[in-house]
Amino acid sequence: MKGQIMKKSISFALALIAYLFFFYYVMVLAVDKVSDYSIYAVYWRVIFRGWLTTIMLSGLSLLLSLLVGLVLYLMVESKISFFYFLAEIHKTIIFGTPLLVVAIVAYYYIGDAFHIDSKFWVGVLTLALYIGAYISDIYKGAIEGIHENQWQTAKMFGLTKYQTYRYVIFPQVLKSILPPLAGQFALTIKGSALLSYMATDEFLNTVKTVQSISFRYPEGFIIIAIGYWLLTVPLVVVVRIFEKRVNYKEQTWNLK
Amino acid sequence: MELKINGLSKYYGSKQVLSDIHINVSNLQVLSLIGASGSGKSTLLRLIAGLEPYETGEIIVNGTGINQGDLSDYRKNVGFVFQDHNLFAHLSVLDNILLILDKVHHLNDSETRARVISLLKQFGLEEHMHKLPHQISGGQSQRASIVRALAIEPEIILLDEPTSSLDPVLTYEVLTAIKKLAENARDFIIVTHEIGFAKHIADYVIFMEDGKIIEHGSNAILDSPQTAQLKHFLDKVLSFTA
Repeated sequence: MKGQIMKKSISFALALIAYLFFFYYVMVLAVDKVSDYSIYAVYWRVIFRGWLTTIMLSGLSLLLSLLVGLVLYLMVESKISFFYFLAEIHKTIIFGTPLLVVAIVAYYYIGDAFHIDSKFWVGVLTLALYIGAYISDIYKGAIEGIHENQWQTAKMFGLTKYQTYRYVIFPQVLKSILPPLAGQFALTIKGSALLSYMATDEFLNTVKTVQSISFRYPEGFIIIAIGYWLLTVPLVVVVRIFEKRVNYKEQTWNLK
Repeated sequence: MELKINGLSKYYGSKQVLSDIHINVSNLQVLSLIGASGSGKSTLLRLIAGLEPYETGEIIVNGTGINQGDLSDYRKNVGFVFQDHNLFAHLSVLDNILLILDKVHHLNDSETRARVISLLKQFGLEEHMHKLPHQISGGQSQRASIVRALAIEPEIILLDEPTSSLDPVLTYEVLTAIKKLAENARDFIIVTHEIGFAKHIADYVIFMEDGKIIEHGSNAILDSPQTAQLKHFLDKVLSFTA
């Protein structure tokens, strides 16, 4: 067991070094001068604030999108077909439109029409409405994934509809939506970069600003990559761990 | 138990699954419904449980008419054991039972807990009560679901083919548990394919085919069937038994 972990760690380190070497080689070939990060050191506060803005922006969007997704899910499941079509059209448009286009339209047109001046909040709303469409499908999958017999048993033994959701369905849904939600959070963080197109002062935009005054482009891109990796790589790892657990559970689920 | 059913019919879409069912029995402890798959016996049980609506006729269980509409209060007095144990997947065996007692029957004191634990002991589940359903065997799960039905102290317990997804060893284990139910002086109706068991435990047997009751009577009808259909059914079911 210990030997295996050792072996794996060495393989991991070697793979990582291979990538680092490759990127270093590319950088040397592409950039024939020495790297200089001094200008970024001068502006580190601005950049750091931008990075925090990205976290805030993504976090708030995800929180809001949990709500948007729930509303969309309930609308799709609604017996009132007007709501059903409202939700379905929203989802179809979102699934068929690049986030970049949605961001531009939301900021320059919709934000303008409704006099929402805060770039930050237009960004949050845009991302929430966009991600929410995907989240509603995550809910749908998770709720449909719960076996029919759980509902039936709850009904037979006299739990009310509310109690059934609260004590039987929701705890099971929570378990199965955590992995896709963590994945969605990583997507949200990456998606927030596109909000730089509407001049939100998030991470990408602040670094780009420093790039344009210093012409230190490669260094800027390295900072951008590392900045996003710091946020997304842990999430990706968490998703992997979650998925392993869920798989284990499903394998043993129906053992008689 | 006292069970009266008059002119009961039930359709799924345009397909008639029960037609003109009449039952009138009283002073029974164990009633067994037998018949081939698709004969309507499980559907009949679900109607008696108040789980599904029906089109025509009436069902009266221990003097209570099971009419259309809200049957949630009626169901609280009925214990049900499903074909697959149907335990809540995220709760331990013990919590599966305590959840129902707490939320539906408002019993959450230490006495209730002690009573449930002693029931679990009685059914040999003491060491498994803190495990999740997927961590125990099918037989143990089914026994846990029998305890769940028993714990609410229902007027009647309904069992829907409780052993049909178990292997012979586990089937024996669960049938023994059901026998214990009878010894606990519980009234129950069991839908089963285990003819030998039905003969052993039932006071009254109802044989169904194509949504109709073909023959009914004391368990003696399993030894000397009067109708050709029951005779044919028993010949097939028992053809390989010693």
